[in-house]
Amino acid sequence: MDAGGGPARVGIGLRAPHYRDLIERRPDVAFLEAHSENFFGDGGAALAWLERFRALYPLSLHGVGLSLGSCDPLDEQHLARLHALVRRVEPVLVSEHLSWSSAGDRHANDLLPLPLSEEALDHVARRVEHVQERLGRELLVENVSAYARIAPSSIPEWEFVAEVVRRSGCRLLLDVNNVWVNSANHGFDPRRYLDAIDPASVAEIHLAGFERAAGMLVDTHGAPVAGEVWELYEYALARFGPRPTLIEWDTDIPELDVLLAEARRARALAT
Amino acid sequence: MSLASAQAEFLDAVLGEEEPADAGLAVYHRTALASRRSALAAAYPVVRRLVGTAFFDEAAARYAHGTPSTSGDLHAYGAGLAGYLEGYAPARGLEFLPDTARLEWAVHTCAHAADSADFDFAALGRVPAEALDGIVIRLHPAARLVASSHPVLAIWEANQEGCDGKPGRDQGPDHVLVRRLGFAVAPVALEPASWELAQAFARGATLGQAADALGTGEPLGAALSRLATLGALGGFEHAPRS
Repeated sequence: MDAGGGPARVGIGLRAPHYRDLIERRPDVAFLEAHSENFFGDGGAALAWLERFRALYPLSLHGVGLSLGSCDPLDEQHLARLHALVRRVEPVLVSEHLSWSSAGDRHANDLLPLPLSEEALDHVARRVEHVQERLGRELLVENVSAYARIAPSSIPEWEFVAEVVRRSGCRLLLDVNNVWVNSANHGFDPRRYLDAIDPASVAEIHLAGFERAAGMLVDTHGAPVAGEVWELYEYALARFGPRPTLIEWDTDIPELDVLLAEARRARALAT
Repeated sequence: MSLASAQAEFLDAVLGEEEPADAGLAVYHRTALASRRSALAAAYPVVRRLVGTAFFDEAAARYAHGTPSTSGDLHAYGAGLAGYLEGYAPARGLEFLPDTARLEWAVHTCAHAADSADFDFAALGRVPAEALDGIVIRLHPAARLVASSHPVLAIWEANQEGCDGKPGRDQGPDHVLVRRLGFAVAPVALEPASWELAQAFARGATLGQAADALGTGEPLGAALSRLATLGALGGFEHAPRS
């Protein structure tokens, strides 16, 4: 998907409760983003649905389970399934997270934060390179929310993210909500974060809702995009220009119209 | 500390039985447990309905503590729940529960197994009579076979959405073929001859060996036709000459 000029194209996350509504109404959204692992089966209804949507909208594949930053060997079976899915639906974008989820073959099935260290930076950049070679295409990597920091974490997160992108030659899926959440949880200026990111490296933007729990902000994808995050999105648009933007909602999934209203709001800001 | 040891230590805290004291670590701890619980709830809706949400959540949490996920794909989580329930003391009186879980896992894996064209009966008809004994018929990649001494199919059917939870039969055994009709998973009971034949195909038996397994008097053609009609069969090939 072209990230260059023109209005930002705004898509929504593809979630099962909306399948029928989407097929019947075919709303005006620029793309649908699916969680790759939801379509890792060999056949059946899930893949058949995805192929129907593929015929109607550009698709983006967003992985949550590759465990890019783990010290375990990359799961070649997982990669093979991703590769097969990429060949099958020919997505416009393929993304994963700058995080890890497994150690010693135990998976948390969550996006755990990497230590912001030189060792982790070098490791994850190599793994991104490997995945790009394996898939034969560009992988976008997404900055994640972090509720804890693993020692040693001496590199500012924005430098870490920018450097992974520079070393691996990938581009960034900039999650503006995650920047906001981390700025609140770890005490930094979110605009400084965005200022450190090379505009040419930003291929996509994510917007989602956070919730407050235990004295911190938690990226639950279960609420509307917060006012502060809309403001930060405007700042991002001013700095990076319009970018394909996704409204994500994964827990307590509301009616499709709620997502479409958020998508319209994002589109209005970008034009 | 190396990256590998730092990750192992962090994961110990995230997956440990006790919630970590650190508020941030506790968020990851709760999320990891909730993900495994909801993966189990999604794969085992009938077991959950049979025992109730509180009982299920407790059993799921205990299973999850002892059984880490080994895949980045949570759809693969929960294969061992039936075996776990066999030894789960609070479920001791519910003898049908482990096999009901077995049936549900078969339904779960059937849903996203590979597609396959309808069985080509006409092509089988073109095989010369003298070569038929050496034919090996594969089950459809989405077909699963589940046997139980309990009426698990009746229990499963009665606990689908919109059903009253009262099984039509309270005695087993059940021999169930789990297969897809279109994209819907539709388990169905098999009578003894079709069950034996399906079992033989699952073992990779030739038609000749399968006929022997059925014993005299059982019409192989009728059982074969029934399995094909039910969508249990994939393709066939000539067995390699030994």
